[in-house]
Amino acid sequence: MNLKNITADRLVSLYANRDLSVTEVITSVFDEIDRSDGNIRAFITLCRERALEEARRTDSRIAAEEPLSALTGVPVAIKDNMNLRDIPTTCGSKMLANYVPPYTATAVERLRSAGAIIIGKTNMDEFAMGSSTENSSFFATRNPHDLERVPGGSSGGSAASVAAGMSVVALGSDTGGSIRQPASFCGVVGMKPTYGRVSRYGLVAYASSLDQIGPFTKSVRECAQVLETMCGFDHYDSTSADTPVDSFVKILDQPMKDIRIGIPREYFIEGMDPEVKANVQSAIRRYETMGCKIEEISLPHTEHAVATYYLIATAEASSNLARYDGVRYGLRETGTGGLAEMYRKTRMTGFGKEVKRRILLGTYALSAGYYDAYYLKALKVRTLILQDFQKAFEKVNIILTPTTPTPAFKIGEKTADPLSMYLSDIFTITCNLSGLPGISVPCGKTSANLPVGMQLIANHFQESLLLQVAHNFEKAGGFGNVSQ
Amino acid sequence: MKISETDVEYVAKLANLEVHKDEKKELAQQLSRIVEHVEQLSTLDVSAVAPTYQVVSNTKIAIREDRVQLRTGSSEAGKTVKLFKVPKVITER
Repeated sequence: MNLKNITADRLVSLYANRDLSVTEVITSVFDEIDRSDGNIRAFITLCRERALEEARRTDSRIAAEEPLSALTGVPVAIKDNMNLRDIPTTCGSKMLANYVPPYTATAVERLRSAGAIIIGKTNMDEFAMGSSTENSSFFATRNPHDLERVPGGSSGGSAASVAAGMSVVALGSDTGGSIRQPASFCGVVGMKPTYGRVSRYGLVAYASSLDQIGPFTKSVRECAQVLETMCGFDHYDSTSADTPVDSFVKILDQPMKDIRIGIPREYFIEGMDPEVKANVQSAIRRYETMGCKIEEISLPHTEHAVATYYLIATAEASSNLARYDGVRYGLRETGTGGLAEMYRKTRMTGFGKEVKRRILLGTYALSAGYYDAYYLKALKVRTLILQDFQKAFEKVNIILTPTTPTPAFKIGEKTADPLSMYLSDIFTITCNLSGLPGISVPCGKTSANLPVGMQLIANHFQESLLLQVAHNFEKAGGFGNVSQ
Repeated sequence: MKISETDVEYVAKLANLEVHKDEKKELAQQLSRIVEHVEQLSTLDVSAVAPTYQVVSNTKIAIREDRVQLRTGSSEAGKTVKLFKVPKVITER
C-alpha cells in the first residue's frame, strides 16, 4: 500500500466501507518507515507497539459498528517538542534526551480524541531553533525529493514524513516559519493558524508570543480537518483565544466571492530564485483566471522583519530556556563546585551551538544598557509591521507571496553562516510577528524537480477564508508540476 | 568588531552558560555580524510608536476564577502521587 497518494479523508471512507483495516494501514506505515527512514531520518522516536495496539482496538470498534470520527485510524506524526504522555519529548536536544512527560499536549489530545493514531515523534532543530533540521542534536533529516538537500526546518522531520508517505498527517510548530518553510521545501501543505487559535499547552516553549502549532498534510481539505479538530479555547493556555471556531471543512467547496489578492512588492526581492518567482507568478495568473482581483500592495517594513524577529525571539528564548538548569528537567551534570557550577555545566553540555548562540543574543538584547536599543526597539518595529498588514487588509482580503526565496538548499550550505540561515525565513517571519494565519501550498517545481511553495496570508481568525482560497487553487489543478 | 570576547564572557555569565575558550572567538564574530544586521532598526524613528508584546488579545484566562482545580489536564501525576522525589541540589562545601 502506498500512503504517498492517500489522504486522511479517503482513509476514513475506506475504513467505513470496510475496504481497508486500520491495522493494515498502521502496519504499512511502519513498513514504509523501515524501508525509507534509514535514508531520510525523519523520526526520533517510534510508537510502534502503542500505535498497533490502538489500531487493533479501532478495528474492533469499527467491526462493532461504532460511528467513525473525522480522523479515525489516521496515522499522525508529531514534532518532538509536543508532549505525548509516557513517550520521550527530546526537543531535538541532549538537554531533554531522557525527558518523559507525564501528560499530553492539548492539540495532540484533541487529535487522539478524534480517532488519530500517533505513530512517532519527528526530528527537529534543537528547541525549534533553525531552518534546516541540521541543528538537531541527534542527526540531520534529509529532503525526500533530493537526499542531498535539507527538508527545511525547524519542523523538518514532520514535513519529510508526510512527503515520503511515512505518515499521512504531521504536526509542527511555527515560530518564524518552521511549518511553512519545510512544507514549501518538501512539496506539502503546511499551515500556521492565528496566534491563540491552537493551545500551546504541552508544547515546549521557544518564543511564547510567536509559537503556534499547525498541520502538515498533502491536501488543503485534510489541513482544514486537522485544524478544525485542534483549534479552540483551552484554559490551560493563558494566551488561548476565546473565539468561536467555524467548520473550516464545510466552507471549502463554496464558490469564492469577492476575493481581492494583494501582492506585496517587497516580497519579490533581488537574489530570489528565478524559478521560484516564475512559479509564484503563474499561480497569481491562475487566481486571476479564477476571477480573483489582483492588486499590488506595499508592506514597507518587511526589510526590518528578520532583525525584529531575531531580537524578540531570542529574548523570549533566553527567558524560556532558563528553566533548563539541571534541577527540574532532563540532563544534570554535576561537578565539585556546588549549585552554580552544576547549572553552568549542565547548560554547557546540554545545549548545542545554535541554542547557545540564541540564548547569548537574547540575553545581550535584554541586558542593562541594551534593553531600549534592541529589545524595546524591536517591539516597536513589530507594531509597524503589524500596522503594515492592517493597512493592507483594508484593501485586500488575502495576501500572496512566495513562501521562501529559494527551493531547498544543500545540506551544510548555510551552517557556517548563521545570518544567511536566518535570512531564509524572510517571507514567513512577518506572520508570526503580527500573529496572522499563513499557509504554504505547493505551486510547482523547478527544473531540478524541487518543490516550490506559495504562501497565502489572511487577517486574524480568517482561517476559513484562507483555507477556501487555498483549496480553490488546488482544485484548479494547482499542485501539479509547472516546471519551466 | 562589535561584540568582543569579553562581551561574550559577560553575557554567558548572565545566561548561566559556560563557553569553551575556543568557541569564544567564533561566537564573538557571529554575534557581531548578527548585531550589525539588527542595527538597521536604529534607522527607524519609533519614538511615537507603542511596543507590541502580544498580538491577539481576546483571551479570558487571565482572570480565571480563583478556585482549586486539578493542576494538569490529561496528567495523572497529581492523582497518583503526592510527592515528587528529586535529587539533592544543595551540597555541603
